[in-house]
This record gives sequence, structure tokens and C-alpha cells, in this order.
Amino acid sequence: MAEDSNRDALAGPGALWEALRALLPRTKEELRLDLRASVEGSVVVLLQQAADLFYGGRRSECLQACEAVLDYSWEKLNTGLWQDVDKDWRRVYAFGCLLKAMCLCEAPGDSATVAAALRACDMGLLMGAAIFDDILIKVAAVLQAHLLPGKRPAQGPAPEQPRLKKARNGHVSIPDMRSEKAVPRLHCPSLQHFRKHYLIPQTPVILEGVADHWPCMKKWSLEYIQEIAGCRTVPVEVGSRYTDEEWSQRLMTVSEFISCYILNEPRDVGYLAQHQLFDQIPELKQDISIPDYCCLGDGEEEEITINAWFGPPGTVSPLHQDPQQNFLAQESEAVYPHDTHLLHNTSQVGPRGLAAPPPPPGGRTTLQPSSVLSLLRCDLPSGNCVVIPWAPSQEAVPKARKRPLATAGQPSCPPGAPASQLPAHCSLGRGLDVRLSMYIYFVHINVLVLFV
Amino acid sequence: MAEERPGSWFGFGFCGFGQALGSGRGRQVLSPEPLRLPDAGTDICGVSAAWSYTAFVSRAGRVLLSGSAGGAADGCRDAWASETLLVVLRDGRGPGPGAELQAWAPGSALRGEPLWAQTVAPEAGREDGAGGGTRAGPLPLLPCARAYVSPRPPLYRPLAPELRARRLELGAEHALLLDEAGQVYSWGGGRHGQLGHGTLEAELAPRLLEALQGLRMAEVAAGGWHSVCVSEMGDIYIWGWNESGQLALPARGLAEDGQTVAGEATALKEDGSGVKGPAGTEEGAAAPFIAVQPFPALLDLPLGSDAVTASCGSRHTAVVTRTGELYTWGWGHPRLLTRTVAETPEHKQVSGRLLHRQIRGRGESEKKPSHQAAGTGQDEIWSLLFCVSAAASECAEGSLVSAKPVS
Repeated sequence: MAEDSNRDALAGPGALWEALRALLPRTKEELRLDLRASVEGSVVVLLQQAADLFYGGRRSECLQACEAVLDYSWEKLNTGLWQDVDKDWRRVYAFGCLLKAMCLCEAPGDSATVAAALRACDMGLLMGAAIFDDILIKVAAVLQAHLLPGKRPAQGPAPEQPRLKKARNGHVSIPDMRSEKAVPRLHCPSLQHFRKHYLIPQTPVILEGVADHWPCMKKWSLEYIQEIAGCRTVPVEVGSRYTDEEWSQRLMTVSEFISCYILNEPRDVGYLAQHQLFDQIPELKQDISIPDYCCLGDGEEEEITINAWFGPPGTVSPLHQDPQQNFLAQESEAVYPHDTHLLHNTSQVGPRGLAAPPPPPGGRTTLQPSSVLSLLRCDLPSGNCVVIPWAPSQEAVPKARKRPLATAGQPSCPPGAPASQLPAHCSLGRGLDVRLSMYIYFVHINVLVLFV
Repeated sequence: MAEERPGSWFGFGFCGFGQALGSGRGRQVLSPEPLRLPDAGTDICGVSAAWSYTAFVSRAGRVLLSGSAGGAADGCRDAWASETLLVVLRDGRGPGPGAELQAWAPGSALRGEPLWAQTVAPEAGREDGAGGGTRAGPLPLLPCARAYVSPRPPLYRPLAPELRARRLELGAEHALLLDEAGQVYSWGGGRHGQLGHGTLEAELAPRLLEALQGLRMAEVAAGGWHSVCVSEMGDIYIWGWNESGQLALPARGLAEDGQTVAGEATALKEDGSGVKGPAGTEEGAAAPFIAVQPFPALLDLPLGSDAVTASCGSRHTAVVTRTGELYTWGWGHPRLLTRTVAETPEHKQVSGRLLHRQIRGRGESEKKPSHQAAGTGQDEIWSLLFCVSAAASECAEGSLVSAKPVS
């Protein structure tokens, strides 16, 4: 992907600019968003101005206009519930990110500038909506190719041999388990068998061999992920429990995340917040497949939403600790950096969009699980899949819920469900020595495919 | 009682739409500059700013629009500008003191018919003009204090009469109300702590701010996601979202940007006499970052100044003190300090009226805020900031505190 000319810092930006410029339409008339009336006329004017300035080569003025667009649309994205945010505002935001990234790369700059442009793309991907045929993904790919490992801005120490760590049990309370059952294991059952015996009755099952052929089983390691996605900006949640005072959500690159929170005896617990990582970084998506079992769901295949989560070993889910508690209706919206240091009355208060645990009577946000699934216990060796079907909640929730969730998960424990689902309480064993664990969660058929 | 002298207006902020800041030098104005309106003799008594345009109300009852929206109309008592809607309170068409509330699309230039209109009841037993006692404040609160205007439908929203509203301010998702006893109520969305009740829960109906109960407040102001009020004693209470430092508390986003100016990004709580600590990027040294403040917090200004009035933009706050200084903090981008206004003799005594959400006060000169986590004045989308400067010297001290009619 990287061309040799990119290796030279001086010649690089020229080639970079060419590659980026080629992604945009040739004329400014084609760089136009069709927006509904919900976007105010003044904003439409400003977008046109920004496009005019860009095509007119007036970079710094274009940047100013982009910043104005971003600031104003950012406020719209932060007003009201995420699910109610008009998609057009997200497209406006993405447009601002696009032009900002382009403007930053126009003049020859160092790798920090390119990294800033990539960060702008990632913000557009995380909070914006697709425009111009997913142009931000293409721009990100070009920028990423330009940021060769040697040229990336200084990160944490290079990943060493990751040390195996024991799960931390120090501050984890043993949950109250209502009952324990063993989870059955099957090796690649037929679709019909699976459907009849496990999907319909909502019974968890461990499916062995399902992910064997996935490239990720061989390829994925910390080093690999760092190479593929190290310079991408992702949302990270810090703190073992969102109720902690130290809990916060912020944005950082994957490399920073790995070096701060996975390797090197991290001081704090941090994990990659569950979001549609594979939409943001399609290079990773190539390494996984969608299990055939997911086709058994009701929706269309295009509607399968894949969330990913990964974190260090030993992180403990808050849900795990209080099975009696209401589930936290994770209405968390798209992520943007702010730290929540709660001064007062912390136990009742959580960061934006995350419902606080036990809500006051008549509280609005948390979901009452219609039934708490019984706790299961099993040992899961690395590399297997567990399929955990569970019942949808009683609330009617729009399908397009793809917000990042707030959850810390022990490798053995599934993350908190998005608000359209109920999580299963599954403790799949503790003490796993893993370097990283990842859940891939296919939303629409209420199935969690977990592999460790 | 000294009459309110006509003053001159200053503005600074983002003017990419040409919102009549007068300098014509480009997209933003960094420090307050005199306002130049097309009609030079117009005596402006009120200003309401939206993001891309501004509405000026003159004493003669004329509303002028400037910026992305243009036009003018006569017979107006008050105007309130938002990006989607321009609300104007006009003299009633029929005989009698009644007024008509009209909502216009900003692009209509006040020509043709309004989108919506409603006759509003006249105030009972009150007179316009000078006079003691308080009267219901400017839009969005209606003169009868029985209802207010919202930029989102339903446009006309009644208020319980027992609230005895004196002022009402709207944020992006919440509303603040100040009643005649100086008590503050809040309602609406609360996810950033902007309601001040100590939770992140929404409130459907006005709820009294218990934390401030018993303290008489003189002013309230609402930003996008934060709230400010000023007590009669001159104390500032502030709460809500602090992502841009709009609460004058340490904010992570600002520290991470690393562009704090000249190391002045310390919490405002220090005594203003020269305690300017290092920029808050040192995790250990600085106070912990605060993103949400769900309870009112007392804010001390440097030098122990008393505040007179406050006003908020969507992510910044401005305060005028009794001694005539203007302090601003919060979002501004990129970060630059506000420079002092040129000291010219005319500016000795300034009756400061700050926009966006009007402040009334006196400002002698503008000093740098000692907490400058984010300099203001450049490219603040919401912050067309206007100050009225009294041309002559003294105004009686008393005239400052007593409420003058706004429009």
C-alpha cells in the first residue's frame, strides 16, 4: 500500500496530497450534500463557502470555515439523545471533518500533521455519518498508509513480549449466583439444530470450531492490531466501573491504548469501548467472518451490526458484580473526549448518557430485565466461540442502535448489552491468562459471538 | 436617579456572516470593537444574537437584523433571535396596550407574514419605562410572565402563574427561571448537570434549586449546557457542563490541547493577586478535571470582585463586576487572551451590556481573566459580545443595581 515515494518525508506530502485529492470530486459542485430543512440555511451557506474556499485553494480560510461547521454541528450532535440526533447533522459534521483533514494535508507537513488529519477522519467516522460513498474511510486508508511505522508520531514504548497476566480478583466481589449450569458444547452444529435447540429457546451454547477458519484466529495479536490500526483514534473507557470516580471516556489512538492499558502493568483499567470498530477500520473486518448462524435472525443481512470490544485481562464488568441490579440502559452516545470527575454524589451520577445505577423510583433510563437469566459457568479455552442468545428487552428500541457501550468486561464475561438487548449473565470462568480478549457481537439476531 | 445614558456598543467574536461588528476585517474579531451599524444614529437598547445573525432593537422600536438575515421592522418592543426562529414582540395592531408576539423565519427579512403570531395579554398594572420594581424580563419571557417562547414547537409555552417569573433563560436543552423572590427554578434535559439538582435526570416541570434556596439571586443566565446565576450580594454560582472550561474549572480538553496561554490556566478560585499556576497539563499539580458539575458551585472572581450580571454563550460565560470589569471564560478557539479595551476617556464608566443573553452592568475596562483556560474573543460562534459604554462619566451607583427596563 505504501509507495516508496512516501518514505521520503519531503516528497511524501506531494504524493499524499495527490492521492487525497484524487478521492474528491473534481468540481466543487459535486461536493455537495443534499440536506433536509432540519439543517439551517446558514449552515448550508457555510458548507458551500467551505467547499468554494477549498476548491479555490484558500486553505486557511477553508480551515476556519470547517472549524465553524464542526463547532456548530458538534453542538447539534450533543443536544438531546443520540438516537434523536438528525442524521443530516452527522453528515454535516462528517463533511467538516473531511475538508479539515484535506486542508491539513495540503501543505507539506510532518507526521504530526498527518496524524491530526487522520484523527479528524476518525472523529468524522465515530460521530458523523457516511457521506460521498464512505469517503472518510478511503481518506483514512490513504493517510494511514502514509503514516508508516517509522514515521508515526511518538507513541508509548514499543510493544514488548506481552506478559501474561492473571485476572485481577482483588476488588471483585463474588456475584450472587442464582444457579449454576454447565454450558453445552457443540462442534459446528447444523443451522437447524442450532436454531431449534438454542436460538429459539434462548439457551447459551458453546460452539466449537466456528471461528477456526477466520483469519483473525491466526493473525491477530497485539502487534498485528497495532500495525493495522495503531494510529487510528478510538473511544476508550477508563476505570473499572463506570460508577467509579475515575471512570471516564476519552479518545486516543489504538497504539496509545495498547501501551497505556494493555501492556506494561497499566495503572488504570481501560478498555476499548464497544463500538463499530469494523466499520471504522475495515482492514480489521477482513479478518473476521459473519457466522452462518447469524443469518437465522429476522433482519436482513446488511443489518447485522458488528460491535467489538477489547480490553486487558482481569477487567471486571460492573454488571457482573450486581446481578440483581437493573441493567444499565446504555444509551451512551457517540464518544467525545471528556473526563468525568464527579465531585458530588457520585454514586447516582454517571457520565453523559450512561444511566446511573439504581435509578430513583420512576427513573427513566434503565431497563428492567424481563427475566434475569441464570448464571452459567464454564471454562472456555482460547479460540472458541460462545453463542449467547438472549431475549430482547421489552422496550421497543430502534434497530439502528450502534452506540458504544460502557462496559468493562472480564474476558469471561459478556459486555453489557446495548439497550435493545438484555445481557446474559455469564461467567465463563475466571483466571484466564489472555493477552487480549475480544468480543464480536452481532446485534441483530441477539447473538453474541465471543472469542477469547 | 441618573438617567440611563446612551452608550456605544462593542462586539467581538465570530462574524463570518457579517454580523455588523463593524470592523469588516474578516471572520473574527479578537477584542471588543465599537459597533458600527448602517444607521449611525440608531440608539440601540437591546441586542439578541443567534449564530449567524443578530437582531438589534432600538429605543425607537425598530428591529434591525444583520448577518445572514437582514431586514428591519418598526413598532417592536423586543426581539429574540435564534438560528431557526426570530421572535419579535410588537405593538398590538388594535387599540390598547396589548402586544403581539410574532415568530418569523430569519430569512424572511420580516416581510410578509410571520410564521406564527399571537396576541399577548398586557402586563397588569405595570408601565413601560423607568420605574421601580421589577418587571418581567425580556424575551423569551413574555411581559405577562405567564408564558415564554421556545424556538422549538410548541412555541408558546405557559408558565404557572404562582412561579411569578421575573426572568427566563433558555439553554440548548434546559430552561432557567428567576422569580420575584430571587429563587431559581430549572427544568428540561439534565444530562450535563445543567439543572443543578445534583443528578443527571431530566425534569419535566420547573423545579426549585434547593441548593440556592434562601439566597436571593439577581440574575440568571443559561448557556448551551451550563447555568449561571448571580446573587444580590454579588456572588456567582455556576453549574453544568465544563467541557470547554465554561464553569471556570479545570477541563481536560483544554489541558490536552496544550495551548493554554502563557500558563494561566489555573482554576479561577485563587485570589487574583498573581497566583497564576502552570498550565494544568501536569496531572499531579493541577486540580482534577471536572466535566460535569451537577450542583451549583460558588465561583470567586479574582480580587474578590462582586458580580453584577452574567451572560452565557453556548459554551462560554461572561460576567461584569460591580467595579466595571468584564470577565469571560470558556470556549474560544483558538485560545487567545482577551485584550483590554483601548483606554480612552470615554470609556471611564461603562454600562456594560453583554450579549448573548443580555447582561447589564458597568465595565470600566476589560481585564484579562486570570483563568484563561481558553481565551475568548476569537471565533466564538455564540459569542457576539456587546458592551454598552456610557459616553459620560458617572452614573450613580444606585442606578446600577436597580433594575432598569431593558428595552
